[in-house]
Amino acid sequence: MVVLRGGMCPGLDEDLVRGLRAVDIKTVEDLVSSDIEELAQKCSVSYKALFAIRRVLLAQHTAFPVSGADLYEELLSSTAILSTGNPSLDKVLDSGLYTGEITELSGGPGSGKSQVCFGVAVHIAYHLKQSVIFIDTTGGLTARRLLQMLQAETNNTEEQMEALQRIHIFRLFDVFSLLDCLYGLRSGRLQQASVGGGSVKAVILDSVSAVISPLLGGKQNDGMSLMIQVAGVLKTMAKDFNVAALVTNHVTRSGSGELQPGLGVSWSHIPRTRILLERVEEATAVSHSSLRSATLIKSSRQGGTTRLLRIHSQIQLGDTLWAWLSSSGSASVCVAEAAS
Amino acid sequence: MCVCVCVCVCVCVCVCVCVRQSGVIYVCVCVCVCVCVCVSGKTELLYHLLCRCVLPVATGGLEVDVVFVDTDYSLDMLRLVNILESRLNTARSTSSPSDEAELRSCLSRLLVVHCSSSSQLLLTLHFLETSLSSRPGLALLLIDSISAFYWPDRCEGGASIAKQEEKLSKCTELLGRLLRDYRITVFATCHAIRRSYSGPPSSSSSSSSSSECDRPYLCRRWQRLVTHRLLCSRQEAANNMAATAGGSVEQRRRQVFTVNCTSSSSSSSSTTKKAYRSTSFYVTDGGVEFI
Repeated sequence: MVVLRGGMCPGLDEDLVRGLRAVDIKTVEDLVSSDIEELAQKCSVSYKALFAIRRVLLAQHTAFPVSGADLYEELLSSTAILSTGNPSLDKVLDSGLYTGEITELSGGPGSGKSQVCFGVAVHIAYHLKQSVIFIDTTGGLTARRLLQMLQAETNNTEEQMEALQRIHIFRLFDVFSLLDCLYGLRSGRLQQASVGGGSVKAVILDSVSAVISPLLGGKQNDGMSLMIQVAGVLKTMAKDFNVAALVTNHVTRSGSGELQPGLGVSWSHIPRTRILLERVEEATAVSHSSLRSATLIKSSRQGGTTRLLRIHSQIQLGDTLWAWLSSSGSASVCVAEAAS
Repeated sequence: MCVCVCVCVCVCVCVCVCVRQSGVIYVCVCVCVCVCVCVSGKTELLYHLLCRCVLPVATGGLEVDVVFVDTDYSLDMLRLVNILESRLNTARSTSSPSDEAELRSCLSRLLVVHCSSSSQLLLTLHFLETSLSSRPGLALLLIDSISAFYWPDRCEGGASIAKQEEKLSKCTELLGRLLRDYRITVFATCHAIRRSYSGPPSSSSSSSSSSECDRPYLCRRWQRLVTHRLLCSRQEAANNMAATAGGSVEQRRRQVFTVNCTSSSSSSSSTTKKAYRSTSFYVTDGGVEFI
């Protein structure tokens, strides 16, 4: 909804704007959709001038078509695949997080979503030497934990500090500050964060459901609209700046008792790839099971008949350390058990 | 072996548009709307249509231009190129090195537009009108998805339903005009907003789950424009695999997608006839494979 203002384009002065407003043409959409001949007569303006104004406004505000070949070239040169630091998880994700897309991690409490996010941040900051933006909406992120994870990678304190400096943290607890933060990032702060530490390669949002789910339900539609807005700005940010967006989500039970990611059907279309994390009950009575199973619920790439759409992979989460080196790297490909 | 019925329902609505191409008239005025709870079936169908249109005639395509209006950044170019390449490879008898050139020429027939709001969608459709008149080869318009701005529009419109549906109505009006004037085919996808809860797993028919989910929720003008509706649903059927030499039996589940097409066409008589067809397909590396 772009309101017509004087000076938007050559030929559109205040008088003309007032004249158009008098015949109920207030926005660019109104002007473009209306009959130019009729309008020229009503406002006593030359048809040519009005037609030229219409053409300029249309060119200014429309989205331009891009040829498929150009888009593909651009994608080839700019898409990167970021490893998560955990080989089994990478296998489920088809070699890692893709830039330009939103990947969703859902799971119940204690299923390890935040730990996976920390691990991804640490891996990108330390191994790939790129910056990460971490938006924490649950208050679960502590610098001490990140340091702990880094200490498992290296003993050099300077390198640890450097890596920590590459992780930029934002703490917010409601959807409006989230939108504020995301819009700010999109309009320039992302580039600022890139200065001095390698470009930003990932934006991690832990968790999106903590700020959105209180708004859903009830008779108001604001919640859904805000959710779509958050999704929109995340996607454009991912696409325009070539970053990988990783969000976490809670889980609910479906009608048949199965676990499913939260935030409903309208959110389910937004992430390109979705993973469900679950605790795995081990046979040995270990009080603190560190095994999790990651199931791929949605992916645009795993389309082959020879591949299972639901892939289970055992990820070993260290109790205090991100010990992915000792993880059960064999992606045991078991079939997802349906509600049986 | 339990047959698990997935609760995902995709609804595709197809309205066929007449396409006149080099003297041959294909009677298809298509506004196809695919509604999907899950992603796989609907997007794969769109890729299948896309490939069919842009591939050269020698490999089974139609060599027409396609415009893809992407409202929610759901177009995965890498997957699309995968499908195109596999189809070009299967069609080619000898492996010739002119792979890249063919792929480029196919991709150059595709135009992609990203829209971020329904007002921008409206302006883009106006802009496309000029492209339609300058490129006579343009025969297919794919909109993925037309329901992406449903919630923002509802919120912006406030309390009055007329205001909520105003933008989509204008887009629909413009689409109708483009259909009539330029004789193109339009396929649009529409996400489901309500999850259907199928009964106990023993009931495996998709029609039972379709009644709740395929209720149209977009504006009335859009419902009138649409002439074909494709309802996609996903079923998981366990396929028996022979035991491997190692002794471990891998149970393979193949996702079977079913498409039910309801086409309502108003004939000369007062009643509108409803034809009902159904087909199933798998999703493979090379795209959609119909059973």
